[in-house]
Amino acid sequence: MSTQQDWNALSDEEFRRIFRDWVEENCPKELRFMRKQRPLFDEVAVWYHNLARKGWLAPVWPQAYGGMGLNPSKHIIYVEEWARMGCPRIPDHGIGLVGPLLLQYGSEEQKQHFLPRIISGEHVWCQGYSEPNSGSDLASLKTSAVREGDEFVVNGQKIWTTLAHCANWVLLLVRTKRVEGKRQEGISVLLADLRTPGVTIRPIPNLREEADFCEVFFDNVRVPVANLVGEVDKGWTLAKSVLGHERIFLGAPARPEYALTRLEALAEATGAFEDKAFLSRYAKHRLDVYDLGSAFERFAKVLRAGGDLEADVSVLKIFNTELYQRITEEMLEIAGEDARFEDDLDAGEIQVDAMNLFLDSRAPAIFGGSNEIQRNILAKAVLNLPG
Amino acid sequence: MPQTMFDDPDGTLAMLRNSVAGFAAQSPGAKILRERRAARKDLDQSIWNGMAEAGWLGLSLPEAMGGSGLGLREQAVLSEALGRELITEPLAQLAVFAGTLVAAFPDNAEVQRLGQGIADGSLIVSPLWQGRDAGRASAVMKRSGNSLLLSGDYHFVSAPRSATEFLVVAESDEGTALASVGAKSEGVSVSLRPSVDGNQIGSITLSGVEISGERVIASGPDVDGALARAIEVTRLALAAELAGIASRALEITVGYTRNRVQFGKPIASFQAVQHRLVDMWGDAEFACAAVVNAAETAVSGKGKDATLATLAAKARAGDAAVSVARRSVHLHGAMGFTDECDIGLYLKRAINLNATLGQPEKLRLQFVALERAA
Ligand SMILES: Cc1cc2nc3c(=O)[nH]c(=O)nc-3n(C[C@H](O)[C@H](O)[C@H](O)COP(=O)(O)OP(=O)(O)OC[C@H]3O[C@@H](n4cnc5c(N)ncnc54)[C@H](O)[C@@H]3O)c2cc1C
Repeated sequence: MSTQQDWNALSDEEFRRIFRDWVEENCPKELRFMRKQRPLFDEVAVWYHNLARKGWLAPVWPQAYGGMGLNPSKHIIYVEEWARMGCPRIPDHGIGLVGPLLLQYGSEEQKQHFLPRIISGEHVWCQGYSEPNSGSDLASLKTSAVREGDEFVVNGQKIWTTLAHCANWVLLLVRTKRVEGKRQEGISVLLADLRTPGVTIRPIPNLREEADFCEVFFDNVRVPVANLVGEVDKGWTLAKSVLGHERIFLGAPARPEYALTRLEALAEATGAFEDKAFLSRYAKHRLDVYDLGSAFERFAKVLRAGGDLEADVSVLKIFNTELYQRITEEMLEIAGEDARFEDDLDAGEIQVDAMNLFLDSRAPAIFGGSNEIQRNILAKAVLNLPG
Repeated sequence: MPQTMFDDPDGTLAMLRNSVAGFAAQSPGAKILRERRAARKDLDQSIWNGMAEAGWLGLSLPEAMGGSGLGLREQAVLSEALGRELITEPLAQLAVFAGTLVAAFPDNAEVQRLGQGIADGSLIVSPLWQGRDAGRASAVMKRSGNSLLLSGDYHFVSAPRSATEFLVVAESDEGTALASVGAKSEGVSVSLRPSVDGNQIGSITLSGVEISGERVIASGPDVDGALARAIEVTRLALAAELAGIASRALEITVGYTRNRVQFGKPIASFQAVQHRLVDMWGDAEFACAAVVNAAETAVSGKGKDATLATLAAKARAGDAAVSVARRSVHLHGAMGFTDECDIGLYLKRAINLNATLGQPEKLRLQFVALERAA
């Protein structure tokens, strides 16, 4: 690992330039603007290891643990440039979820053991929260962990576990105790090796006929007590509070911005811009994207001033994911009779993956707390509504 | 609750907000609106004087013209606060539009007189520039000996009865001309039409109205430029006012639905109502963010970017205000359908301002045309 510098001391422009130049050199061209939203580890391993070697894999981890130690405003630039240059998403549950969780709540031993293995790519993580009967109502989860000596014995099933089939570790939410009327109590966080006997992983083809999420079965799987994060039975708040300023990125305009460029390419090719009705709808999408930028800036400003985000930031997630859907729906609209095709559409020199994006855009309104759940939260936390 | 968020290092913006809230506590906007509506007046003179005393009319006029020389952030915050309090005297047209237009020609003696009058409220200067189709009126200014003759039909005129001066845009041999006309001059005829929010909007015909050369402020491309700028700045002020209306209508409706009990519970505890309120809140937040973006972009002086940002803000805030207020009326039930309930006044006010200087659809198309022209 190269010696790090204090990135936060650089001006925003300087940091942006350094980051761009390096990414230009080090992110392979053939990986840019990938069709796949969630490439497997092996498909993007070169990029992962390039980042790791440079010490740029974990933007917000402290430098002492191999991160860049970026403050939120520099982190925003990192994420913006990443998207602008079309870098592929890497399996990032280790970096974005497990790392921050351990940094905040893990023992020093856990940090020393797990963090370097995330950076090296030896451990690839996935997130085992959802269960067949516990989705939005996550606190009803049933996968159990019963203590036997210095091990927990885990039984149950997780589902929709993104990239479990290319991961070797899972961050698990399990029930360690049943408390009548208090479902949030008795939930614990465990770190489990997916190669332990009793674990079965089955990929589930998604709407795009890709296998990027899985079901994961646990049949008497033994997890050392040393892999418990935080206190037993007190895992709920811990699991819920990991994301701090990162919540702003659920609302980052990159996806709808990208989709809009695809819509424009398609519209140029089909002559849709000559159609007044389309132009009027297009103008609405264009301004939605533009105004999402203004709204994003409203929250970014809070972070830049050193403040903390509050619940209201999820307005961005709702707007963003629904806008992404509207734009991809528009693509199918102007594709006319071609809208039925699964493969990409000709748009002059280039191809536009309208169907791919349309299908992809169904997911973000569901995961990360569905948009209805976001609205429920906003109703309570921001508008203070009763009931 | 939604509000524009600007840096406010010296507390000027907070002071402006307080001054509007204090003013409204003395003279509640809805009450003044109703009285003015009943009297079929186009302006409440005592309220207007109060606004002048508060320093709002000359807010962005240069100090040399008796103004406060403040900028677009301050204008946005003032207009937003007026929108919230439903203070509906036509400040955007009579102070912001007219003020921006005259301030473009600071060295002119007539401008000094008008500027001072706008700022201290002693003159009510109403711009005449729009035709029936809301674009530039086809009006002419012709030379006749030592004086000039103005002729044309103007529409969408604010305070047509109360105005003491008209600020007239007309075609002349030297290009677009800007001149002032005493409101009581011979050859000026006024007709009134009520606006939905209880005001009176005028159509004015000038039939060879004679003015002296001193009343001609400027002519040529500078006037076109000043007019474009006045439209832009006024759009920003209207956007801010609309964002204020959206935010306040939401607040009122949150309050109402928390108190109104049906089926043994506050109606705000029903999810269908909650999600509607959350969406209204989001619309108001986006409107505020768009206004901040427009003001900041304009302050940093980027010409085309500022135009785009302003078009976006007026469109966003107009849509937000009208649709939030519409949903607000609905969530008040039959009460919302009464004239007595203020929420309907917010809807009507939003409709008027949304229709002023471009409906959202038109502004969006203008945005796209400008952007794609590059
Ligand atoms: C692409 C993708 C990747 C995912 N990756 C992971 C992962 O890696 N790890 C993981 O643990 N989980 C993952 N998930 C699961 C995700 O967290 C859940 O899908 C989500 O929490 C919703 O749960 P559910 O699918 O059971 O839907 P349900 O909770 O059954 O919801 C179905 C519908 O009902 C609505 N609904 C539910 N409750 C309410 C309510 N109270 N009020 C109003 N409407 C309601 C929802 O909004 C939704 O539209 C992933 C999901 C997707 C789509």
